[in-house]
Amino acid sequence: MSLSTKIALAGTTALMTTAAAAETVTIGITQNNVGVDSYQTTYEKAFIAAADANANVETVVLDAGGDVARQIAQMEDLIQQEVDAIIIWPTNGEAVIPAVRKAHQAGIPVIVTNSNIAEQGFDFVASFSGPDNITQGRRSAEIMCDKFTAMGIENEAKVVHITGQPGYTTAIERAKGFNDRLPEVCPNVEQIDQQPGDWNREKSQQVMEAFLVKYDDIDGVYAGDDNMGVGALNAAKAAGREGIIFVGATNFAVGYEAMAAGEYWGSIYQSPVDDAKAALQTAIDVLDGKDVPFLNYFDTPKITQDNMDQYDKPVF
Amino acid sequence: MAELTKQDIGRFLARQGILVAFVVFMIAFALANPRFLAVDNIFGVIRSSAILGVMALGVTFVVIGGNLDLSVGSMMSFSTIVVLDLHDKLGPTLAIPAMFAMTLALGAFIGFLVGYLKLNSLIVTLGMLSAIHGLTLTYSGGKNMDIADKEGTWFAVIGQGSIAGIPVPILLFAGLAIVLSMMLGKTPFGRKVYAVGGNGTAATFSGVPRARVVFMTYMISAFCVATAGMMQASRSLGSQNTVGQGMELEVLAAVILGGASLLGGSGTIFKTVIGVLILGFIQNGLLLVGLEFYVQYVVTWVIIILAVWLDIAAKRGRLLSPIA
Repeated sequence: MSLSTKIALAGTTALMTTAAAAETVTIGITQNNVGVDSYQTTYEKAFIAAADANANVETVVLDAGGDVARQIAQMEDLIQQEVDAIIIWPTNGEAVIPAVRKAHQAGIPVIVTNSNIAEQGFDFVASFSGPDNITQGRRSAEIMCDKFTAMGIENEAKVVHITGQPGYTTAIERAKGFNDRLPEVCPNVEQIDQQPGDWNREKSQQVMEAFLVKYDDIDGVYAGDDNMGVGALNAAKAAGREGIIFVGATNFAVGYEAMAAGEYWGSIYQSPVDDAKAALQTAIDVLDGKDVPFLNYFDTPKITQDNMDQYDKPVF
Repeated sequence: MAELTKQDIGRFLARQGILVAFVVFMIAFALANPRFLAVDNIFGVIRSSAILGVMALGVTFVVIGGNLDLSVGSMMSFSTIVVLDLHDKLGPTLAIPAMFAMTLALGAFIGFLVGYLKLNSLIVTLGMLSAIHGLTLTYSGGKNMDIADKEGTWFAVIGQGSIAGIPVPILLFAGLAIVLSMMLGKTPFGRKVYAVGGNGTAATFSGVPRARVVFMTYMISAFCVATAGMMQASRSLGSQNTVGQGMELEVLAAVILGGASLLGGSGTIFKTVIGVLILGFIQNGLLLVGLEFYVQYVVTWVIIILAVWLDIAAKRGRLLSPIA
């Protein structure tokens, strides 16, 4: 139902834009799965708001509902409608490549947002706009190491690591960044275990419960996002284990609150609003013929209990 | 005399094959990591399994009645999100009954379609799986739901508290298991569920109100899902919209592992509980042993197949059998 409605709407939007002024550009976007989490929901709202604020931009906003086949069909629709540029939040980094190539061959620049497609598709992409997940993992390692150093335990601390969903690019990149950087900054800190929490608070809580049984001595927990980090924190609180340093990524409202309560040390501040605005701006810059870097990262700074007052509480 | 004893053991094994399998795994994991059998760990595992377990209790009724319920995962997400949202709007005392009413309404709808309209339960509940997911997302606007005042609410007791040293989720799971076990095993209604699942046509001609019995199995399932949602919400005091996603298959695996037949007409609450515990302890045991997690998926499957095989072998009285 929603798909056909959206396509019908998309059709009318396209008709309207052809009648509009010549300077107006039409940008189509096919998103991954709006509504599955607060990040993606906020992203869509911010994207529409940013586009509405720009009088020269018309948008066709589509959502693939997490379905690769639907996303490929939406790419083809957008090519048919001859939009000026396409933004894609890939449902799958490999499977969408043929559709991206088709758009490229039709002369429509493609901007990938949030999570990049696989490398063999890079030739067909004008630019990638999104967070740098490897840097995020590295920064989390630095936050963790700095805190250990401040506590004077940088030579004996033990860390467990809860990753996102296995096979998911963001999860792999953040884990890699963290695992590469931690031994560089804190060579004597030992990572004693690493298990997936599947981006799920409940799953992460279960994993942490098992870690707490298995290891008497845990000084730090790194979780691939705050949702899982808070799950791990809940497990530690329930077990009465205090003094563990929790560091996450993608600061969620719950993570921010736990930081304010002094229970959670730090995270990486990644705003879906910045993400959406950056994607739209990248598309506009590409259409204006500006020189846009291929990997156009927006900044995702460190946030800890020390500097959190400089950041607004995340809306998700 | 000795022969009689041997026969007795054989008969016991034949009836409780899955229990034997359970004990075997427990011993194997305990040998691999001594902490596996620590009281804290055992309580921890049962407490985490309790949510899945409560859902499996309800689905056991549906499966014995000869139907499937694939909607329990997304229905649990719905209950969790609704009770968290209403907690801050109405307070926990009103939020819990309101959430139960909404979840039971969903159960009644499914029960009506499968029981009275005799629609295929696989299609109905598979459809409801995504319909309820959509309903949840519409309700929440896709946002994570969190209780604002996490320290000051008694609601946390349901998922995190203990009574006399035993975690409340375990008490809820055990209590519900006992009540439902008596309902299934000791009441006329329970016998009707077996009759309807075993041979629906015969049951109808014997005067069993088949439609009403099937309807009731879905109401029991929805009641269990609502209880699970309440426990889930209380355990983390916040949730994403997809919290129950995929649980329908784990629930079904636990029920089938416990020995209930997908064709209906057989199974017990006790065996479902064992099935739930096996799944819970496998997950926990593999974490404690510390296997690479990609390997864990495979090992989990191997253990489940082993359990099912031991169960069947015990029923046949031998490990390999020329007949099925």
